[in-house]
Formats: sequence, structure tokens, C-alpha cells
Amino acid sequence: MMACHCRRSRVLLTRSILTSTLTSTLMLLAFSGCPKPPDFPSGEAANAVGEGEAEEGFPELEPYDPPALADLDATAQWKDRPVLDAMNEFRKLKDGVPQLVSVDEALKLKNNSEEDNEKILSALGRPPAEEKEVNSDAQINRHLFGDIKTTNPLLQSSTSDADVLGLSAIGFFSFDWKLQPFAPSETVVSWQTSQDQLYDKVVIRDDLVWSDGKPITAYDVMFSFQTIMNPKIPIPAVRTGMDKVRWVQAYDDHTFVIFHKEALATNVWNCNFPIIPKHIYENSIPKDLTLTDSDYHQKYEQNPVSGGPFRIVKRVKGQEILLERREDWYLRDGKQVRPKPNFKQVRFRVIEDATTARLALNDGQIDEMELQARQWVEQTNDDAFYARNVKVRGVQWVYYYFGWNMQTPLFKDLRVRQAMSYAVNYDQILKKLNYGLYEQSTGEFPEGNWAAPTVPRQPYVQDLAKAEALLKEAGWTDSDGDGIRDKKINGKTVKFEFAIMCNNEQSRIDICASLAESLNRLGILCTVKPTEFTVLQQNATDHKYEAMFGGWGTGTDPSTLENLWKTGESRNYGGYSNKRVDELFALGQKEYDQEKRAEYYREIDQILWEDQPYTWLYSRSAFYAFNKKLRGYMFSPRGPYHYSPGFDSIWMVAAP
Amino acid sequence: MLNYLIRRLAIGAITLLLITFVIYGLIRNMPGTPLTVDMAETDPSKQISPERIKQLKAIYGLDKPWPQAYLHWIGNVVKGDFGRSFSRKKPVIAIIQERIGPTLLLSIPSLIISYLLSIPLGLYCSARDGHTDERVISTILYMLYSFPAFVAALFLQLLFAIHLRWLPLFGMTGDQYEHLSLLGKTWEIFLHALLPVTVYTYGGLAYDARFIRANMQEVLRQDYIRTARAKGLGPVGVIWTHAFRNTLIPLVTLVGLTLPSLLSGSIIIEQIFNWPGMGSQFFVSITERDYPTVMGLTLMFSVLTLAAQLVADMLYAFVDPRVRVD
Repeated sequence: MMACHCRRSRVLLTRSILTSTLTSTLMLLAFSGCPKPPDFPSGEAANAVGEGEAEEGFPELEPYDPPALADLDATAQWKDRPVLDAMNEFRKLKDGVPQLVSVDEALKLKNNSEEDNEKILSALGRPPAEEKEVNSDAQINRHLFGDIKTTNPLLQSSTSDADVLGLSAIGFFSFDWKLQPFAPSETVVSWQTSQDQLYDKVVIRDDLVWSDGKPITAYDVMFSFQTIMNPKIPIPAVRTGMDKVRWVQAYDDHTFVIFHKEALATNVWNCNFPIIPKHIYENSIPKDLTLTDSDYHQKYEQNPVSGGPFRIVKRVKGQEILLERREDWYLRDGKQVRPKPNFKQVRFRVIEDATTARLALNDGQIDEMELQARQWVEQTNDDAFYARNVKVRGVQWVYYYFGWNMQTPLFKDLRVRQAMSYAVNYDQILKKLNYGLYEQSTGEFPEGNWAAPTVPRQPYVQDLAKAEALLKEAGWTDSDGDGIRDKKINGKTVKFEFAIMCNNEQSRIDICASLAESLNRLGILCTVKPTEFTVLQQNATDHKYEAMFGGWGTGTDPSTLENLWKTGESRNYGGYSNKRVDELFALGQKEYDQEKRAEYYREIDQILWEDQPYTWLYSRSAFYAFNKKLRGYMFSPRGPYHYSPGFDSIWMVAAP
Repeated sequence: MLNYLIRRLAIGAITLLLITFVIYGLIRNMPGTPLTVDMAETDPSKQISPERIKQLKAIYGLDKPWPQAYLHWIGNVVKGDFGRSFSRKKPVIAIIQERIGPTLLLSIPSLIISYLLSIPLGLYCSARDGHTDERVISTILYMLYSFPAFVAALFLQLLFAIHLRWLPLFGMTGDQYEHLSLLGKTWEIFLHALLPVTVYTYGGLAYDARFIRANMQEVLRQDYIRTARAKGLGPVGVIWTHAFRNTLIPLVTLVGLTLPSLLSGSIIIEQIFNWPGMGSQFFVSITERDYPTVMGLTLMFSVLTLAAQLVADMLYAFVDPRVRVD
């Protein structure tokens, strides 16, 4: 599941997305000013990472003596893994999709229904029929809700960082709209996995260069891995999870092997980590472990050497980041060796205020932006919007829920949780508070996910009589006639009252208020407690709450649900614990047969559905506005950008 | 005078210690740490392990009890080291420096315009008290004072940036800024600053004008004003020489109180106009629980507040000879 604190799903890397497996993201914040994680030490840190303390606090990367490549080749029984041209795959996909209306018709359409949406996407969300349709000198102005914090892929932590570095950084792994991993053919020649699943061998292309002209080699990959794992360098976001990789060895300029500690079906998601140029950082890092302090590192922070299709040419803090297409990315000695990126320049404009951003969109100062549901419904129907833009929406695997803290005496009881799910006024929440834009969700995996139930589930519907019966059965009655249910717990009469915590944002408060109103009718006193994001997050982590409203987005693999539902995991806020679920997660990680894995995750999902640790509410769509000159956008379960080809498939029409 | 100064400075130092101690205690005891948001944002497939969290806590100095951490912080501050921001990977001083320019660019013009307009307006209103024109001006001032900044900003954006296209919609500079001459750059920043400065100013202007008028009205009822009028002094002489001088003390207090706001910026205006000022930085730092930045900014605001009060107190002696600072 993937985290959307910010309004975007967060992906940790690049063009080939780095880390994201099922990325869970708390969708607690939907405004700008979204908090970003800290990723740097204080003055105290500098002391802490000093010589003596390193051994104690930061275990060194365990030394490993990798076997010779010839020995490995002799024993590994390599199996080929997919190396694909994402754009080709995109074209193939689109060839099979009928175009419902002409481009001109689509541009005139107002998006008022599911059919309109489909028509617009079918006509505008296509690759160009001919090269000459593309304005390859175009500049696109993209919108960012918050400034980037770094241009160094190793230090990235925010969604904005990932959006920008996704264009300027190089990667050797990626995944498509079905969230299936592959190696992109623009950087990789071959990718093989050993029979025992412990090694991944990658041969990269020999025509890759950094933006300073030096070749990109396997030694850069090995160096990057060692830098990430260097205990003295404070890189929280990127290092996390890398402990599952034992070693990365470069055997020659173009061949590297990743050694895994265990044979896991999820190993592939650990193969992708950010790559930095060895020749730039090799000598400077020992002198400045922060990667940012020294003048030398500052210079490269301002003007980074990039390995991806674009390089950063200008950065005005808090305002904009300008990237330019690297001619040496796709041309080698004047010959084209890779697809030419569709834009000459990409300008990210930082606009934190959603209203200002919408005005900028209407004014043509930005060419795309993600819309809030309210903007979609109320503020993008006028001519001022449609003069320059179209709007499209797509299903996104992001769901919202009421979470019950199962460590409290109230919600320990299954019957009470079921009663809660029967009490919710789904009609009001879906149709009125969410403008009828969303489908009700029924568990962890939405339709289309390979782990989704084979027969779609019946969603809960409001049934107060059933809720009442369940509460009664659980012993909650109004014994003193004060209108509020109570129950004797350990000899003490406890009233059924609790607070539901939600992010301090009107739309969320309204949804919680709807719950409170429904519960009131059942003799339950529920108060809505709007809470600052960080406090909410901390209280959830510490299990210091009774109920909360939150949301999770999807990542790429169901195994990452583990940290929501396995006993004692960090995002298991409600303290859910089920032996069988724990067992199934372990089985799922070790199983390679997709169908068998699906069965494990389906069973987990079924158990969760029966246990109702959450009351699943609805899954949220992605809403986007695009300038009428843009084409080629498509929605993956993680939105229009955070997959492959993502941004690469978007193009601007050439003037007729 | 010197004794007074030394005494005030000593009291100021103790006050600063107290303020920073209390604020430090408060932010450290708010739920959430610099790691909280980090943990929420990290890809779950790569969860931060409990050992790693321990290491990071040590890195951030969160493993020590807060009073000890405070001592460490204040010790470093005395040595001139304000620490590094957890989230911005930079010294706190650098963050403050980056934001000071843009913040002053809005606040100083705003302050100057506000007083340049509010003093004559306030005086005019006092002189014309009860007349129709005074009523109209007062009502307008009152409306301005209560008009929300974000609404005003939206109106101004729609009118001047979208419809008339005279002024830029947001930001501090345009796309071609670095290719402009010095004059061109200044003009560009001037154009970009016009709308935010307007929004920044009108509320304060209305407040100041009403403040001056209210004070003047009180003074104008005094016996010595009646005496001055009885002497046959014209309205200008009465208002400017006799009355206004006597309203300067509260005005100086007000100016003193405004000084810290020169650097504090405005969260709302900065956000709407995408202006890289101090207000939004402070706000974000609190959300991120970026203790060093929050403390650095707190310290700066506290020093400014105390300094402004000291200056105001010294100015009293200047505007009112009866006041002696000894």
C-alpha cells in the first residue's frame, strides 16, 4: 500500500521505480504543506556519526567475498527475466483499445460522466500515430505541491523529490501498469535470476553516460550500494529495507550481481536502489559524510550530474526546477540509440496553494495538476477551465477506512466492530460527502488486483437493527436509562463513548461526523477529534487512540500489507493479531508460484474481512487536469506517473 | 542610562532563557518526533527497523531527556552554533538567511506604506470627526480590517493577474529572471511583490489608522486642547503640534510590537502567492517537528521582541520628555 500523505502516492524512486512494493501511505493529509520526513542529522548527529560511536550504533556492512562470475555462471542456472521497452508495451496496449471518439470531439467534451471520461481517455490517452505529430521541442510545465529537498537520489525522501528525480536519475528496474516488475531495455541488456532465487545478474548497456560525459558502469551501482549501506552516512529513507541485500558486486563495466540474503518472492523489489556517479563522490564522501555540507557537495547539489534522460539546469528554491532533455541520453555519435524523450524541457512549478494552482492551470502557466475531489466537482466546470484544459479521472488503489483500536476494551469484541460497520451511513458518505465519485471498498484488494477475491464481495450496508442486535449480544445495553449504552467490564460500569481521530481537514471531519451521528442513534457517544497530522501519526503508532479515520494507497506487491496486519508491525495501528495471517504472510513471501501466492493473500484478505479491524469505506480515484495540447496519459493503480512508462508516454501535439 | 541598559539586557537574557526553555520543553513534549512523519512516508516494503529507529534517535539527539538536550542546544547557541535542520539538511542559520530577504521584501514596504498612509488618515479622521467623509472612511477602514486576507488575495489574483494580466499570479520571480538586467530584475520583483504587499498591508493599515484616530479622540477631549483652541490656534496646529505628539507613546508601543512581525512573515499570504518567506517555514518546521529550526526561529523572534521593546522604551523618553529611562 502506498502512502499518500501528500496528495500523491509516494514512490521512492526514479524512472525505474526504486523501492516501491505495495507502498502504504497514510492518506491523512490532502493539503499542501504536507509534512516531509526529516532526513538529516543535527549538530548532535555530526558527533554521533563520529569515529568511535559508529561501531556501536551502526553495524558495518558485513564483509562478503563474492564468488567469481565464472563459478556463479556454472552453478546458478540463470533464468531470463523480462527486459522490456515500456513505450512499446504501452503502444501494444493502446493498439488493442478502440478509440471511441475523435480527438476533436474529445477536446470538446465536458467530463460529466464515466462515459465521457472513457471517451476522452480513449482519444487523448494514446501514443502518437506518427512521429511528426509530436512537438519534440516542447516544454511542459508540471505542478508540484511542495519544493524538492534534494537533487541527490540517495537523499530523496519526499514525493516531490521522487517526481523530479524520476526524470533525472537512472534506474535498472521498473514496473508497469499491472505492477509487474521488469528491467527497462533503455538501460539494461539482460536480467537473470538464479534457480535458487538468491542472485540477480544484470548486464547494463554500454552506451550509457552521465551528464558530464563519463560512462555509467556497474561500478557505479556497486559504489552506490556501498554508500547506501555505509553506516556513517545518514540516509534513512533509501537504506530502509536494503538490509535484505547481502552484497552487490560489479564484475566488469557492465555486469553486476545482486546477492540476496534469503530466497524471497519479494527480492525483486530490493534490487532497485538509486545510483550515484562513483567518480564524483568516491573521494568526497570520506571528507564530508553528510553529502551536503562541503562546498564540493553543495556544488553538485545545485548542479547534479544526472544519469537519466533529463538533467536539472535551474533550481529556484520554493519556486521552480527546470530540467532539460539530455541529447547524450538518446544520441550516441549522432545516432539515435534510445527513444527520444518527448519534451525538450520540463519545468516543475512549485505552487503550494491549491487555488493558486488552479488559477495557474486556467491561465496556462502549468499544463497539468492533480485536482482535489472538490475542485473536480465544483471548480472545473466553467469555460475558464475548459478553454485550455481537459480533466480525466482514473481508478486508483487507494482506500479509506475507519480503524478500530483492538487493544481497547470497546473494539476488542468482533461483534462491536461488526456493529460499527453496520452503523455507518454509506449512502451519505459516498453519495453526499464524496459527491458519488467513489466505489465502496470491500477489503484490501480492489477488483483488478491479482490477489482480489475471485467472487466480488457484498459490501456492508447500513442496518441499525442488526447493529443494535450485535451490540446487545456483546453486552452493551443502556442499563441506567441515560440514553447511552453501557456494560460492566471487570466489575466497573463502562459507558460506550469514544473519540474518533482524523486529520484536521473539513472533508474528513464531515465523514467522522456522519459516523458520530449514526452511532448516536444507537446510543453510542462518539466525538470527532480533528488532530494535527504529526500528532495523529504518533498517536496511531503508539496505539493511543480508540478509533481513527485514515487511508492507504497501493504499492506493487501484496506482501507489503504485512506491515499493516502482521502482529506487532509498525503500521499495525489497531494492534491486530492473528496467527494464521502471520503465517500466511510468511508463506506468501517464500512462494514463487503467482497463483499460490494469490491464494495466500486472498485468504489473508478474507480473514481480515471477517474480523473487520477496519470498516472499509471507499476507494478514491485520481483526478487530473491536463492541458489540451497534451496526449498520451494513462492511469495506473498508482496514478498517471508512478509506474512505467508514466510520464514517458505523455507528449505534446505539434502545431498544425 | 547605561545602568538601565545593562539591567534591561540582563533581564532580557534571563527572559530569553526562560522562553527558549519553555518552548523547547513544549515542542519536545508534543506527540511526534522528527521521525514520526518519516516513518509514515517510508515505503512499507522497506520499513525502518526498530534498531534503525534507535540509531536515528541517537543521531537526532532524541535519546536524551529533553532538559539535557536543551542544555546541549543552548550551549551550542552560546558558541554560535544553531544546529542543523533535521529535515532540510542544512544549518539552521542558512535556512533563516535564505528566508530573511523575501520576508523583509514584503514586510518593510508594508510597514512603511502602512504608517505613511495610516497617520494622515487617522489624523484626518480625527479632524473631521462626525462628518460624512469621516464616516465613509471609517466604515471602509473597518471593512478592510475585517476582510479575510485569503479572500482579498483571490480577488486581487483574479482581477490583476487573470483578467487584466497586469501582474503575475504567484512567485517572486519570473521564468526569465536570471537573464534580466539589474533594473529588469528589480522591476520584476517589484511586480511580483505588489499583490502580496497589498494583501499584507491593508489590514494593518486599517488597524493603525483606527488606532491613531481612537487615541486622538481621547487626547482631543483633554483640557489643554480646549485651551489651545481657545487661544485661537488653527485646526492643523492643534492636531499636529498639541494632540498628535501626545498620542505618540501608544504609537511607539505599537511600532515596537510590530517590529518582530517584520521577520515573522505570514503563513497564509506566503502560501497563496508562493512567496518563500519565514512564516511558511516556521509552520512546516513545526509540523515536521524539526526542533533545531523551530528553536532557531523562536530564538530569533524572542530576541527581536525583546529588542523592540527595549527600543520602544528608550523612544518613550524621546517622545515624552517627562519619561526618564533611569
